[in-house]
Amino acid sequence: MSDKRKTLSSFDEMEKYIEEIEALANELVASAFPEGPSWNTETCCLHALSNVFITPREVIVTADLPNIEPETVKVEAVDENLIEITAKMKKKVRFADLGVCHRQGEFSFLRCKGRINVAIDAENMTISCEEGILEVRFPRKKMHKIE
Amino acid sequence: MSESVKIVENKPIPSDATMLIGLPDVGLVGLIATSYLITELNLEEIAYMDSDLLPPVVVLHDGLPHAPLRIYGNKNLIAVISELAVPAPAVYTVMRELVDWAQIKKIKTILSMGGIPVENRQSIKEPEVFAAASNQELLNTLTKNGLKTMKEGYIVGPQALSMRYSLNKKMQAVAILAQSFYNYPDPQAAAMVLKELSKISDIKVDVSKLLEKGEEIRLKARDMMKRTQQEMNRMQKTQEYDLPLYV
Repeated sequence: MSDKRKTLSSFDEMEKYIEEIEALANELVASAFPEGPSWNTETCCLHALSNVFITPREVIVTADLPNIEPETVKVEAVDENLIEITAKMKKKVRFADLGVCHRQGEFSFLRCKGRINVAIDAENMTISCEEGILEVRFPRKKMHKIE
Repeated sequence: MSESVKIVENKPIPSDATMLIGLPDVGLVGLIATSYLITELNLEEIAYMDSDLLPPVVVLHDGLPHAPLRIYGNKNLIAVISELAVPAPAVYTVMRELVDWAQIKKIKTILSMGGIPVENRQSIKEPEVFAAASNQELLNTLTKNGLKTMKEGYIVGPQALSMRYSLNKKMQAVAILAQSFYNYPDPQAAAMVLKELSKISDIKVDVSKLLEKGEEIRLKARDMMKRTQQEMNRMQKTQEYDLPLYV
């Protein structure tokens, strides 16, 4: 064991291993499942960028939703661990509007999915949307206390 | 000069110019700002970077192929942009080559623009801009012209290397960084950077068109942002959130 390792607490070491495993897993997943395009002409959707932050009390999902009508935002729990956000755009966007003329199709919605690996209370979520940045806050479900 | 990377010049390169670097990074701030400047100032393509370290990609514009990492310019300004996320392992070689080339071309100042990730960006109406410089004299000039300086903190990625290599060569380097989203394209932050740039240079552009086109840019930049984020993760970009320790 190196001197450096000796100075780390077992929690630090564990955290370090978990980070390394996570990075490795992300790389493996990325290489095993090459990403598809950021659009779907069948569903007329452009994929939106999104983030999931997990805090001790809540889960915060944000999404970059430019060019949308805020009142059309829908947040749905697809299953226990997956939420889907959809919003209608103010005006349809064609490939030509994005500077691409060798493809055909138009898009009316922005959509994204967020995987959440903790239990959430989807019924009590709060939604805010400003300047096309959506923020959804889900309270985390209370777990049993160990007496 | 590195053998794995070279800058191919198409046109005469001005000397004593200022070199702006806007590579894809946090919120694509530098890239958006530099691309907007290139369009507004009608700069022409004067060189490009060729390297086996970069992905085998060519970008088509008006049906003609272009290298993704290109250099534009006029008589006193040079602007570097990349339309692909520079792979993390290549960023050292790419930046070293750019700084070496800048020295050969007698560039006066290397000025990189970018973003500082802030967690509460959505609640910030007008992002603040902070600058860093390669020496005290330059830092004093920035302060004198009304720029706020980033006193303590980490810079990670292309801006960090442009600063580091410029320091090695005793060249003048400045980084202008606006508070921005980490992985959402941030045209407003880019506009703020350009406003601050005008305080310390003769580069003055009206940013109203950039702000008007903000939503369109955010839609167009999704793929670039996603790929850039992958490279930022590999560069441990989140270290910019860390607090430095120097007692």
